[in-house]
Amino acid sequence: MTLLKAVQITKVWEGARGLSVKALDNVSVEADNGAFVAILGPSGCGKSTLLEIIAGLEAPTTGDVRMDGRTVTEASPERCMVFQDLCLFPWLSVFDNVAFGLRRRGIARAELKERVDEVLDRVGLSRFAGHFPHQLSGGMKQRVAIARALVQKPRLLLMDEPFAALDFQTRVLMQHFLLEVWESFGTTIMFVTHHIDEAILLADTVYVMSAGPGRIVDCVDIELPRPRSYTTDAFNQYRVALTEQMEREVMRTYQPLAAAE
Amino acid sequence: MSRRLDALASMRTVLAAPRDGVASTASRMLRSIVRVLFPWLVVVLVWEAAARAGYVNVTLFPPPSHFIRYVIENDFRFGIGPQGVTMWASILSSLLRVLVGLALGFVAALATGLLLSTWPAGRNFIMPLLQGLAPIAPIAWIPLGIVLFGVGNKTAIFIVFVGVFFVLTIATTVAVSSVDQKLIKSARTLGASGPQIWTTVVLPAVLPQVFTLLRINFFGAWMAVLAAEMVGLKNGLGAIIIMGREMFDTDLILVGMCLIGACGYAVDSLLLAIQRSVLWWKEPT
Ligand SMILES: Nc1ncnc2c1ncn2[C@@H]1O[C@H](COP(=O)(O)OP(=O)(O)OP(=O)(O)O)[C@@H](O)[C@H]1O
Ligand SMILES: [Mg+2]
Repeated sequence: MTLLKAVQITKVWEGARGLSVKALDNVSVEADNGAFVAILGPSGCGKSTLLEIIAGLEAPTTGDVRMDGRTVTEASPERCMVFQDLCLFPWLSVFDNVAFGLRRRGIARAELKERVDEVLDRVGLSRFAGHFPHQLSGGMKQRVAIARALVQKPRLLLMDEPFAALDFQTRVLMQHFLLEVWESFGTTIMFVTHHIDEAILLADTVYVMSAGPGRIVDCVDIELPRPRSYTTDAFNQYRVALTEQMEREVMRTYQPLAAAE
Repeated sequence: MSRRLDALASMRTVLAAPRDGVASTASRMLRSIVRVLFPWLVVVLVWEAAARAGYVNVTLFPPPSHFIRYVIENDFRFGIGPQGVTMWASILSSLLRVLVGLALGFVAALATGLLLSTWPAGRNFIMPLLQGLAPIAPIAWIPLGIVLFGVGNKTAIFIVFVGVFFVLTIATTVAVSSVDQKLIKSARTLGASGPQIWTTVVLPAVLPQVFTLLRINFFGAWMAVLAAEMVGLKNGLGAIIIMGREMFDTDLILVGMCLIGACGYAVDSLLLAIQRSVLWWKEPT
């Protein structure tokens, strides 16, 4: 069953002095209940813009976002977002960061503690509940940000290039961790990335975007059994196909210097 | 899987070594006290030596041994008869004035700054007024304060208040407009309401910056209190110096100056300590 549908989203950012940027052009994506959807695209193609519109943090210029058939008009913990630069509250401990949303909604103290402790345990950070963000490594901060979203029990988890800043080893650990979380929580995930491998490893469906303005150029179902590995032949076939496609897209918009003059 | 993550995590804490133990905190405090006092010790020794050797006129410019003995012999009381005050009362009244003024100014400026940030029309109207009032040095408010509130604590508190209020209100609105929008967006996707975002995200995000400015403006406010005590108010550390001048008592003048320096330094250290322990998420500058 379809959980979320973004229909023909166009977004024009109005800049100063009449300069405006068309970030998204007629973009449609959807996510079935429980699905892992990846959105793959180059830097600047409007991936963050799209997620913020789906979260209800920004309004689309035209088009609309529907959750369970109802149009999304404002942000809600139902569609929780993990931002590209994490945005942990530096003045709150790990526990209080994770508890932030529950506190604002007035969840009773006992239930709150139980839920936060459980999620911290799930992400392997129980022993760091009293630490502050600046005392954590990049991968640990990442897990706090994910825990902070998961504790809300969101129906849709929006993730904006969460692992982009991590080294390869930590990223692999985090990818497996995210899959474990996805399987055990049953949350629908929409995951933005510019890594082809990451999209293939994680997603059921990969939307491929191209830049300037951002459009959806393809939608690929990844029919690989889980757990997946980077090194199988089947994986490599997807990798080659997607790489070829992205290369084509880049070359289509690439203008040699001589021609541009 | 999660055990591997745990191992990774515990390795990192060992490296990050969060809060230090009590013992090292104490020894660090001791070391920093020594570091502050040592240069003063050298100055005092040179001064004493110069006085003993006759290079300095002890009546005009008495060394510490001289004016400290004076304080002790006078039983920590200065002045004669009904005009006499104890040293402790003078310190207390100057400190109370400045601390009460700073606290009121800080809280009022934060409240006003946050209010103006949520209310563009009010902000557009009030900002130019604040920008015109902020450059008036605290000292320049003394005559008006004395006219309005007479010679007393109210005047001193008023002077400190205006000395910090306008500047900090402007600083608060600037700090609010530079709060990371992503933090606010995070709070919104976590279900925080509009008012909750103000109290739980914007306020903690701007506090360190505004508090830093409070510390910077404290010196101006401190000087203004002392100046007010010298020109009008009958008590406090500023009044001790004036009493010394009137009685041509250089011991008293120097005692007053030393107390002013020490108290100012103590308040600044107190503010820094507050910043370090309560507002630690942004390194004080
Ligand atoms: N708040 C904003 N105001 C104006 N323009 C914006 C805003 N946010 C994004 N843009 C513009 O919209 C376009 C798409 O930006 P966006 O951040 O969505 O891309 P992205 O795909 O997430 O890029 P990256 O991979 O670098 O994160 C860019 O040209 C950017 O300059
Ligand atoms: Mg982005």
